Amino acid sequence: MTAVAWLGHDAFHLGRRSVRRFYRVPANPVSVVLYPLIQLLVFSQLYQDITQLPGFGGESYLAYLAPGQVAFVVFFAVSWSGSNLLYDYRNGFLDKLRITPISRYSILAGEFVPLFLECVAMAGAILAVSVLLGAPIATGVPGAIGIMLLGGAFGVAWSGTSFVPALLTRNEQATSTLSILFFPIAFMSTAFVPTTLMPEWLQVVNAWNPISHVIEAMRSLMTVGFEPAVIGRAVMAIVLVGLILHSVTLWAFRRLTD
Amino acid sequence: MAAIEVVELVKVYPGGTRAVDGVSFTVDEGEVFGFLGPNGAGKTTTIRILATLLRATSGHARVVGLDVAAAAGRVRGRIGFAMQTVATDALATGRESLELAGRLYRVPGGELTRRVDALLELMGLTEVAGKYVGTYSGGMRRRLDLASALVHRPAVLFLDEPTEGLDPQSRSALWGELRRIRSEGTTLFLTTHYMEEADELCDRISIIDRGRIVVSGTPGDLKRAVGADTVELRLVTDLGDGVVRAQDEVARRLSTFEPLRRLERTPTGVRLALVDAGSSIPELFRRLDGDGVTIRGLAMSEPTLADVFLRHTGREIRSEAADGTIELGWWG
Repeated sequence: MTAVAWLGHDAFHLGRRSVRRFYRVPANPVSVVLYPLIQLLVFSQLYQDITQLPGFGGESYLAYLAPGQVAFVVFFAVSWSGSNLLYDYRNGFLDKLRITPISRYSILAGEFVPLFLECVAMAGAILAVSVLLGAPIATGVPGAIGIMLLGGAFGVAWSGTSFVPALLTRNEQATSTLSILFFPIAFMSTAFVPTTLMPEWLQVVNAWNPISHVIEAMRSLMTVGFEPAVIGRAVMAIVLVGLILHSVTLWAFRRLTD
Repeated sequence: MAAIEVVELVKVYPGGTRAVDGVSFTVDEGEVFGFLGPNGAGKTTTIRILATLLRATSGHARVVGLDVAAAAGRVRGRIGFAMQTVATDALATGRESLELAGRLYRVPGGELTRRVDALLELMGLTEVAGKYVGTYSGGMRRRLDLASALVHRPAVLFLDEPTEGLDPQSRSALWGELRRIRSEGTTLFLTTHYMEEADELCDRISIIDRGRIVVSGTPGDLKRAVGADTVELRLVTDLGDGVVRAQDEVARRLSTFEPLRRLERTPTGVRLALVDAGSSIPELFRRLDGDGVTIRGLAMSEPTLADVFLRHTGREIRSEAADGTIELGWWG
């Protein structure tokens, strides 16, 4: 096999381990999906008339809110991903992996694969609840799959916000604290209200906020239809965020394992 | 070809700690080699360099003929490493843990199933193979860890304090398993601060202290080099002035006893250092026979590796140094 094939082979088996580790503690999936689900249920009722304001287009607030909560699910799934690697580092499992003939990058890839699947599955859970509550998906099943895939891809890209603090500080508490620092970016996004209702400075911020671009693409699939330009911007945002954060993650990982 | 060859190995950590300071040794194929020393002596640093987890500051090391720095990837495929801290996955079953190790060591599927079954059997874990490792006892986890280091049939097995924290029964069982592994031709390199463990298992040992090897040899040779056996006599006297008078009397009668190297007083008698105690005891008894000295008890012991360590380092192996670090949450 080629080096790339071995990388895939090793990442697959390490990924299976990570998936097992996640789902064998029932509290893990519950904790990831619970908070966004509560936001979805409570806010969609509390602010159901907010869509009367200009900028919403008159659609149901539940349908407007759901893509934002998919982003929140991704945030929660990502926030503890670095801690897993840190746990392996602390208990010696990372060293155990390092003395096998695998590429060390397969160790990271083995974390990304299950993270992608978790984000996809959790995004699916949010969408399922939204549909059950009466929010239609304008693009149907293909659109729902698109939203889930965007969620998964964004989760992998955004995971650097958890991996970098974990790898640099090597401390669980610091990792949790620093990961939470990224949450305001989500609250400043278009998860809850459109940019037209935001102060001017926040509109400028949102023009550069990758989360808003991803949410807008999901929202487009949820409430409008397939808009290539909107989806393209989201993909570009994901790629850009991934490139930046994963460059730092790789540097920090090399620093830890050298 | 030597299984392990280390020449003038030096490791200086950032901050200046010289953990390994010019260590050289060789280990032959199929040999059980022990690296002894107190905590902080440089054992773990050396074994981590040999296992490709650390880079040496200078010097070089070859394992199975391969340079551990230049050919780290190839070395990894030929070695197994059971670390001091047993790193198992609590949420995996024993079988899953071994299968993962086998996959990562590129053991083919059908062969892997056979090896996993055989290792579970060998380590006495077949009945618990389907249970989560988190439910295993410390001894079971240690055996599972050892099994995962063996799944790819390594040429050299590194064991860092393999019985640390085990109860005597588990320790004895693990020794049996290590002997069995060795009988299949695997070279074993083990670090330990348990002298009896090295004595029991090793063909040759090196004692390391403060980053330097202070002595090497077979356990027998090293103990013989210490010299005298120890004979401890418990005395009862009818002189009426207690044990001190008896001790004086023993000292007087043995003053010209040639095998005697040292006489120490103990609360109940005397401790004698004798050359070749086995053959000199009859003469010892003849000299002590008679009024004034009654021997109530006798205990004889040969020199131990602890005596070897004491002789070469001037201190007991119990001396420990704190060598751990704590991550305080920033760019450590």
